[in-house]
Amino acid sequence: MNAFFASVEQQSNPALRGKPIAVIGAAKRTIITTCSYEARAFGVKTGMNSWEARQKCPQLIFVVGNNRKYTYTSKQIIAIMREYTPMVEVFSIDEAFLDVTGCLSLFGSAERIAQLIKERIGKELGLTCSVGIAPNKLLAKLASDMKKPDGLTVIAPERVAQVMERVPIQDLCGIGAKMHQHLAKFGIRTCGELGRFPVEILKRHFGVTGEKLHYMGLGFDESPVIPEEEAEEVKSVGHSTTLDNDITERPEILIYLLQLSEMVGRRARKYQVAGRTVTLTVRYADFTTFSRQQSRASHTNNSEEIYQAAVKILQGVELTQPVRLLGVKISSLRQHTEQLPLFAADRKKALVANAMDSVNNRFGDFAVTFGSLVGKEGGSKVISPAWKPEGVRNVDAD
Amino acid sequence: MQQLAERIKVAAVFAPGSQVKPVWFEWRSRKHAVTRMSYFWKDHHGGAARLHFAVSDGDNLFELMFDTSDQNWTLVGIEPQ
Repeated sequence: MNAFFASVEQQSNPALRGKPIAVIGAAKRTIITTCSYEARAFGVKTGMNSWEARQKCPQLIFVVGNNRKYTYTSKQIIAIMREYTPMVEVFSIDEAFLDVTGCLSLFGSAERIAQLIKERIGKELGLTCSVGIAPNKLLAKLASDMKKPDGLTVIAPERVAQVMERVPIQDLCGIGAKMHQHLAKFGIRTCGELGRFPVEILKRHFGVTGEKLHYMGLGFDESPVIPEEEAEEVKSVGHSTTLDNDITERPEILIYLLQLSEMVGRRARKYQVAGRTVTLTVRYADFTTFSRQQSRASHTNNSEEIYQAAVKILQGVELTQPVRLLGVKISSLRQHTEQLPLFAADRKKALVANAMDSVNNRFGDFAVTFGSLVGKEGGSKVISPAWKPEGVRNVDAD
Repeated sequence: MQQLAERIKVAAVFAPGSQVKPVWFEWRSRKHAVTRMSYFWKDHHGGAARLHFAVSDGDNLFELMFDTSDQNWTLVGIEPQ
């Protein structure tokens, strides 16, 4: 999708159409989540703070994002795509891969399918998207980024080598800023140069990734399109939240940890999984981020136990800066179907959690919660990059 | 958008295909005719499905919400145009 959140806001509020707008996460936070193409023309970019953006574009309009509007819209778009092929792999909230090989006889060609999907999204939601058609996912993603907004780019199999020759390596999905720097040291700047570079040297420096890089340079990618029902089981359940303000006081941090632990526990209980490893993630005000983990003796999806483990991890950390973001995650998961514990104290805990879940399922998250969370705002404030339209990774972000 | 969260009276057409279209609403003793519905989305609060409508009366943009569990309409917010 093109400037997805900003485009949804422009559709929602016609007065914003054709104007430079920037979507921000919350009124108190100033980092730009995304911005319209009109704003991009002034040099406004995702990740900029509002002050910097205003310098670039004084008439910039700030809109507080509405994550539920975006997740609903994303689900509608995915539903449209699934009408053309069941082979849809949701890559992020605004990107998906479609394998249309098996549907060509129904619709004619990949280009025709792309046109139909673009028309439906435009007509039903008023949004534009850019589509890339190519023999594999790596090239399709590259092609989709070649023309924005509202593009349709085809990389035919016989043109792959010609196209790759001049494509800068950083345009490839999977080559980030650090890898770009590493490759630049070898004098590799284009995919053509990457494909021709001796694979043995790449392997020596980057291990197994070296061979993958070689194939990426050639435009080869054998990874299949994996629809949700065939995707690997999730390996972790986690939540993180960017705090309204940077905080330093431990009691305040503990309240957020309890909130996050309850969200993790609740989702784990909903999907009947339990984890043995608890991970705490902290991001400082300067964006330095670190994680610490601890394994428990037994698996759990009890919010209080997850919280106690997170607190224990925090006790071993000396915080050197104000905290901007906190995250709690459980991993080493296993299926955990309901079974009443043997001991009375544990049984009580499980019964309380069940009772709280029943009430919250009906009246909404945090309708009944821990005393220290009463009056605090709960819920996910950001849409995770791992967000999926259904299953354990589907989180209703506020 | 200025947040309001006020219960209001709404006239709506419930058309086949689960389509709901607000036609007018009363807010602060004034009747507002819906001249345009620019966006629609749905979410859940606990077990309740909630339908959200971005509508205009020609002067302002409003967000209306219909809670399917208790059949109440709420004016969520207003944005002067």
